[in-house]
Amino acid sequence: MSAVLSVAGLHAGYGAGDILKGIDLSLDEGRVLTIIGPNGSGKSTLVKTLAGLLPARQGEVRLAGEQVNELSPPKRVQRGLAYVPQEYNVFRNLTVLENLRIAHEFMGRGAGAPLPQDMAALFPELPSRYQALAGNLSGGQRQMLAFACALTVRPKVLMLDEPSAGLSPLLTADIFRTVKNVNAMGVSVLMVEQNAIAALRISDACVVLAGGRVRLAAPAGEVLGMKDLQSLYLGETPPVNGRAAA
Amino acid sequence: MISFLVLLGIVVCFSAILALALNFQWGLGGMVNFGLAGFYTLGTYSCALLILKGGANTPVATLGAMAIVAAACAATALVTLRVTEEDYFAIVTLGVGEMLRLVALNEDWLTKGALGLSGIPRPLGDVIPADVYVYFLLGLSVALLLGTLWVLNVLARSPFGRIVRALREDDVVAATLGKNVLWARVRVFAIGGAFIGLAGSMHAFYYQYIDPTQFTNIVIAYAFMAVIAGGRGAHAGAIWGAAAVMVLLEGSRFLKDVIPALDSDRLAAIRIIIIGVGLILLLIYRPQGFMREYRLQVELK
Amino acid sequence: MLQTAFNGLVSGVIMTLPALAVTLLFGVLKFPNFAVGAMMTVAAYMVFALNGQLGWPLAAATATVAVAFGGVCIAIDQLTFKPLRGRGGITLMVASLGLGFILENLARFAYGNTARSFAIELARPFRFLDVRMNREQMITIAISALAMTLMWLLLTRTPVGRAMRAVADNPQLALVRGIESERIIRWTWFIAGVLLAVGGVLIGMDRALEPPMGSNYVVGVFAAAILGGLGSALGAFAGAMIIGVVSELSTLIMPPNYRIGIPLAAIALILVFRPQGLFGQPYIRK
Repeated sequence: MSAVLSVAGLHAGYGAGDILKGIDLSLDEGRVLTIIGPNGSGKSTLVKTLAGLLPARQGEVRLAGEQVNELSPPKRVQRGLAYVPQEYNVFRNLTVLENLRIAHEFMGRGAGAPLPQDMAALFPELPSRYQALAGNLSGGQRQMLAFACALTVRPKVLMLDEPSAGLSPLLTADIFRTVKNVNAMGVSVLMVEQNAIAALRISDACVVLAGGRVRLAAPAGEVLGMKDLQSLYLGETPPVNGRAAA
Repeated sequence: MISFLVLLGIVVCFSAILALALNFQWGLGGMVNFGLAGFYTLGTYSCALLILKGGANTPVATLGAMAIVAAACAATALVTLRVTEEDYFAIVTLGVGEMLRLVALNEDWLTKGALGLSGIPRPLGDVIPADVYVYFLLGLSVALLLGTLWVLNVLARSPFGRIVRALREDDVVAATLGKNVLWARVRVFAIGGAFIGLAGSMHAFYYQYIDPTQFTNIVIAYAFMAVIAGGRGAHAGAIWGAAAVMVLLEGSRFLKDVIPALDSDRLAAIRIIIIGVGLILLLIYRPQGFMREYRLQVELK
Repeated sequence: MLQTAFNGLVSGVIMTLPALAVTLLFGVLKFPNFAVGAMMTVAAYMVFALNGQLGWPLAAATATVAVAFGGVCIAIDQLTFKPLRGRGGITLMVASLGLGFILENLARFAYGNTARSFAIELARPFRFLDVRMNREQMITIAISALAMTLMWLLLTRTPVGRAMRAVADNPQLALVRGIESERIIRWTWFIAGVLLAVGGVLIGMDRALEPPMGSNYVVGVFAAAILGGLGSALGAFAGAMIIGVVSELSTLIMPPNYRIGIPLAAIALILVFRPQGLFGQPYIRK
């Protein structure tokens, strides 16, 4: 099984110090990898760096074997590395249809063909709301739209930053079900999640991040079975039922 | 030659005070005053009118001008008290500055409009003998410059200065704080305004004749260039910047003798073009110093 | 009174194109560009060179210059603003101010301070409903209406237009949706350049051609864009019309030289009561 996304020795940060202090990980083709860790461990920073929004100070990122360090975010997307940010992940002042159109028009260079029939199956709520402004959708609907945009052309890798954040348990289940369906279509998924348990249940692999470093990389099932996730979180209160204690 | 240098020195002094005032409002307070030319005009005309029409003597007129410009700046800052975005503030100050210039140009009954005001006396002009007067004026200008530097530095290091700096660093914090603290912004702008008034008064005394054409965009450009060229890091930078800019540009007046083909309009145009290009080049190639603090802010976001 | 209102209408219509340029530039580049006035001036003088000096008909001259000026604006951006990308609002504003000085004085250097005018055939003004109108004003209204329609179509029906709106809405998201920001920025400058060129010609037709002609409009145009809501094309139109009409009507009660007080008051009121303007969205600065 080849790695569709591989990261070696990645360092990145915003100001003086590094937030990511040498990350190694790899996502195998067709798999779902979930990254968990306490707040401030660098999970969001990692995804942002992979997307190209933050420059890598050291290290390598390869997409399907090809080095992407020098590529700008739009170019990475066009090569098949799609990203759904945690917040502000739709164009609020544009309609649902316009959001989808933009994704279709600009992400598609060189990637696979669009999947209209799969779209209707995956996101049934959207077509009836095509003329609505994205900003007027509910939280769950916006999340679905953000997903759909990232998928308008089948990416090689879909990166999700806390897809269930702020959603009710019912919607959370919806989201994870959608992720699983998307994966079934052949899209490899890299997911950062706070909702560790629920996410790991649909994942193949898991990486635990803390303090900007990888603490553990193991199959998801193994991590789920661990009694003392707490030690991995280095003294932080472990998540209760998947949600971190406040 | 010596007298030319002395005169240049005087001009450098009040230009430096103007730059320091801008630096105070902008560097410390984070409020960029694009209406600088207008407020400067207000200061100059206030001083002149207080003497010519109000019969005040030079120190009183100067203080009066300082108070008037401070009040105008305070009023301007009050309007944008609620809005902390620098863009909007810049636009408002631009507009206010334009208004002030228009008043100077149009209210003939007060300012004699385009004709200007002449016959402005100099401080102690009839007391000190004419042949040494310029040296006295230079000494006075330097003294005022040093005084300005001292006052602004003291303020910048005071608790007041710390509050203002904190407000500048973080818009969000500023927006959530109470009115009392936001008043600090008004005060900063007003204090800067007072020194704009001082520079304006000195301008009036130096030239002894003022008209609206003296206050075109060159004034703003000089001051901005000085602040940016000098870099932040104590106000000393603004002074060196003002000196450098002034020497460069006043010195270019000699261009007219060298290239007689250019008439004065064209020459003036070239000088402004040089200023504009210089300004942009400075911004591109000298981002540190003044911009250092801003850079940190932008990176963290 | 009707006459004044009509004049205000024309004035507002003239301001629409530059207000639109301002709002587009602000939306995509995220800073107020104070050089727009001087840009209109330079474009107008370029048209003068073709029309007044080389004898081209005004329409042909305007069309040619409009396209050329779009390119000029792209070049200006590459030289001036591109090196300063991401630097922060004030830096860019100051740079735009410096740019304004340069452009206005290039015009002054080339053509001096005497007022010029375009070479257009004189036509007699006519009356309609007791209001005096002339042909230039009619042309101005027609051209502006056409420009606005084209802009609307561009922004809503073309990929580039949608991309511009997307970048204005959320620049980071636009990147990860495959929109290359530099390409969109170039398009934005091109379109702004065309709008400013035509706007400059309309000003030159309404008043004389002189170096400060464009800069005189800066405060008014910004007031229009802010009133309408920075980033909203419809807002630019609405704002320009309101400012134009109210400014003219104010001359009935105020000395005309202080017309600039109206846009200023508008800006002040908007900032205090409704900073996002009529149609704008509250701007989330990241």
